[in-house]
Amino acid sequence: MIPFELAEPTSLAAAVKLLDPDDETVRPIAGGTALMLMMKAGVFRPQKLVSLRKIEAKYSGIAASGDGLRIGAMTTLNAVERSADVKKHAPVVTRTMRTLSNVRVRNVATVGGALAHGDPHMDLPPVLMALGATLTIVGPKGERKLPLEELFTGYYETVLDKNELISEVHVPSQGAKKGAYMKVTTGSADDWPALGVAVVLDADGGAIKSARVVGSAATTKATRLKAAETVLNGKTVDDKLLKAAGDAAIEESEFIADVRGSMPYKRELMRVYVGRAVRAAMQGTGA
Amino acid sequence: MATTLNPAAKAGAQVGRSVPRLEGRDKVTGRAEYTHTMRLPGMLHAKLFRSTVPHGRIKSVDTSAAKKLPGVLHVVTVDDVRKVLPHPYYGPAFHDQPILADGKVRFVGEPVAAVISADPHIAEEAVQLITAEYEELPAIYDEVEALDTNIFVHEELKPAGTFADLKHLKGAKGTNLALDYRLRRGDFDKAYAAAAHKFEHEFKTQKVLHLSFEPFACICDYRETGVTFYDSTQGPSFVRTEMARLLGWPENKVRIKVPYLGSGYGSKLYIKLEALALALSMIARKPVKIAYTFEEMFYQITRHPSTFRIKSGVDKDGRIVARKCEVFWNGGAYADIGPRVTQKSGLTAAGPYDIDNVWIDSYALYTNMTPAGALRGFGVPQLVWAYENHTDMMARALNMDPVEFRRKNLAVEGKPHATGQMLKDHPVDKVMDKVLERMEWSKPFDKGGSGHIKRGRGFAIANKAVISPTTSVAIVNVAADGSATLYCGTVDMGQGSDTAMAQMVAEILNIPAEDVRVTPRDTDVTPYDMGTLGSRSLFHMGHAVRRAAEDARDKLKALAKEVGEPEGSNIPIADLFQKRYGMQAGNVIGSGIYKPDYTPPAPGTGQSPNVTPFWMVAGSGAEVEVDIETGHVKITKLVNVVDCGKAINPKSVETQISGAALMHLGFSMFEKMHLDGGQVTNASLADYKIPGFHDLPSVLESHYVEHDQSNGPFGAKGVGEVATFCVGPALANAIDDACGVRLMEMPLNAEAVYRAIRAKQGKPLEEA
Repeated sequence: MIPFELAEPTSLAAAVKLLDPDDETVRPIAGGTALMLMMKAGVFRPQKLVSLRKIEAKYSGIAASGDGLRIGAMTTLNAVERSADVKKHAPVVTRTMRTLSNVRVRNVATVGGALAHGDPHMDLPPVLMALGATLTIVGPKGERKLPLEELFTGYYETVLDKNELISEVHVPSQGAKKGAYMKVTTGSADDWPALGVAVVLDADGGAIKSARVVGSAATTKATRLKAAETVLNGKTVDDKLLKAAGDAAIEESEFIADVRGSMPYKRELMRVYVGRAVRAAMQGTGA
Repeated sequence: MATTLNPAAKAGAQVGRSVPRLEGRDKVTGRAEYTHTMRLPGMLHAKLFRSTVPHGRIKSVDTSAAKKLPGVLHVVTVDDVRKVLPHPYYGPAFHDQPILADGKVRFVGEPVAAVISADPHIAEEAVQLITAEYEELPAIYDEVEALDTNIFVHEELKPAGTFADLKHLKGAKGTNLALDYRLRRGDFDKAYAAAAHKFEHEFKTQKVLHLSFEPFACICDYRETGVTFYDSTQGPSFVRTEMARLLGWPENKVRIKVPYLGSGYGSKLYIKLEALALALSMIARKPVKIAYTFEEMFYQITRHPSTFRIKSGVDKDGRIVARKCEVFWNGGAYADIGPRVTQKSGLTAAGPYDIDNVWIDSYALYTNMTPAGALRGFGVPQLVWAYENHTDMMARALNMDPVEFRRKNLAVEGKPHATGQMLKDHPVDKVMDKVLERMEWSKPFDKGGSGHIKRGRGFAIANKAVISPTTSVAIVNVAADGSATLYCGTVDMGQGSDTAMAQMVAEILNIPAEDVRVTPRDTDVTPYDMGTLGSRSLFHMGHAVRRAAEDARDKLKALAKEVGEPEGSNIPIADLFQKRYGMQAGNVIGSGIYKPDYTPPAPGTGQSPNVTPFWMVAGSGAEVEVDIETGHVKITKLVNVVDCGKAINPKSVETQISGAALMHLGFSMFEKMHLDGGQVTNASLADYKIPGFHDLPSVLESHYVEHDQSNGPFGAKGVGEVATFCVGPALANAIDDACGVRLMEMPLNAEAVYRAIRAKQGKPLEEA
């Protein structure tokens, strides 16, 4: 690792000004758990890092209101895991946190970083996407809002400009909806997932009024599986329906092969796990 | 009797007591010393530039930009090394490995140049500025293809001269074969032809690595008057001999100091970073440290991938009458200790069975991959993987219970081994019974209903011969206050050897084990030992330590007689010295040396009445749940039973068993170095996963059977590797029992299991 400049602005506005839209070697750093690995591997060699650790404290907090949660982008995953408000308004997030990475990473990694990094293997983005979260993004021209499901454009790619920062995530209250996240690993239990499936269901008994289903890790990006949702919406859950939902999901997903599995295998995993995630949500089991 | 350093510690019955680790407190409070974190005054750091091609001639190496980077002191290639060490090659079996690539590169990751700086970050940056041009050559990766190809990893073979059975390979050209070991007993062809049932299978194992938690590290401090190494090594005596050879110096000018090791598992044997550190310190004329990152661990040493073709003939009563084993060991680009793995494990390739007609061919082969060496089992886990799958497959085909089929064929006490040696202290039946008892094998077993979870259970059993002949020396020094210090070269890398050796000294001197100090390894003061490897230490060094302690005890008795004490006096040792020397002064020094008897195997047949001083026996039982919709395997129960003779320290024995089994669970279930065109595609801990706490079986049991090793120190023998042998095949046998699929290759990961299930259903999953 070579020496680089470390800027530690004390406001979000100042941080945005320090970023350069045209320079790949200038990047913001929050928890740094992903960026440091890239720097160690020599994949990323910065000229300047803009640390967000000293920006206004309000970006590191969780606030609950009638319409849900506002989670500051600099909130650590550990704070999300332990928040009573998150447990009340989005219990599926609290459950997911226990299987997400490990305690050392959760202590420093941030919600904003987990989203902005664009890594399809992350566990939190598909869950927030299934909950219908929206982002507040701050750039030189001010603020804009963006549905989370529009953030990712490809493998480690997002719509964010190089001088834009996520400032806040708004998560609608889960309310009576049921949710589940299935992290599927093929190596050790604490490996990155080979597949992630998140579902949030508005259901009445065994009947699904509306479903949001998101696939990740096996795919180039966390992807909302609308065809699978269409299969499920307005139907009563049975094995045949879940199989049809799984079949629909694989048709609309773009799979990637890696050391965790081939494309044909990951397709089969998703075919099975869309249904299992729906079942887990209905039964209140699983993450 | 002695000055009791620990007031709670008592003398008597030291052997067989679960003494807490003597070094445990220093380790858990962060005070134990490790090479990887050590700094010397004025020390420089070296970082390595590595080959990006698997096989090629080096056309040029451009170091000019690196040399210009401020803070860079030296950029070193093999041409610079030659100026200080004219013959820059090393290796335990072959002198085939260059200190830095010499004209050719033979695997991706091979060190080509080194940068020295006072700042490791500058050295690392400078490495990025080095470029090399190669004329790429075709490469060979597969161990079976390597035997019959026109791609040769080495132009000419260079046996080191240490091993008699390699001498005929000197100067051999046009081959990748670094050793062909043979065993012939009876007449395989005739017996196989006449057998009622014939079976033939081929099994494979993948490339995995040791991943000790302290990566490779070495500091060399060279001066004209002598050289000192601070080294994370399992074999300081070998390092000393080999460094003295490279320098043309007597051994007493070479000093190897070894702090505690953050484990080794066989990776830190022989020469790893020492020769390069020596060359760099000679060039820089300052202490130079090389300390690997985890990512670099993938380019030093791995376990051997293997292909094992096994044939058995069985008679009408279910007795195995003939067995042929052809084993191909993928040794990578440099031989390291591969030829020894090929021979010493090769001799047990037919398993713990009583078979009259045995044919074994075992081949060490060069390929264009990271070199392979010993990994906790010295090749035996790869063999057991094959023969214990094969055993189950035969039993099922013969409609016999796999356990009963084994019982019918086990080579019990008093039967001859395939080498001709009569089996003694080889309690396979006791080990088997213990596994079956803990598995409740005779009770009905729930195989799961019609859902997607199927349950199964499996068993495996194996043996291993300890490597022979090897030598150990120990010294026990009793001070005038009665405290004792042990000097022995066995490296405590986490296995608890210091504590076990101290217990043996304490038993004989009748003092508490806690009062015995074991000196840190330092070849200036600790005597010769062949190396901490192959479960040899407790037996060989144990005998040397026992003899040294007995020698000291006898000298103390003589001293008592000299000062006029009556026979059988229990005068405290301190008073004895006081009486003899008039004050707290003097020492009593005992020494011991041990080398077991050995008869070299006959050339061509491998027959010997005494090929090993002791056998290790292990058995495993596994219960699994297989998700037939995804191929995921959940291990609900894993029972590992070993024979360790007498347990010197029962707690250490238990953790050796569980540790070895869990390490092997990773190799069996998911660990794999993925290679693409010779490139490792998962060379990091983010992508090469090892087992964590969540991978523990729901029930994990570790047991040993009490069976005194009749020629062992206090009836004991080594236990470091033995629980690794059977985990893989027991799991594979359980998976087959659950869902009727047989995996012929490790790892048994979810995709492999799922693909096998689909193939069995006649709907094979398309290839990647």
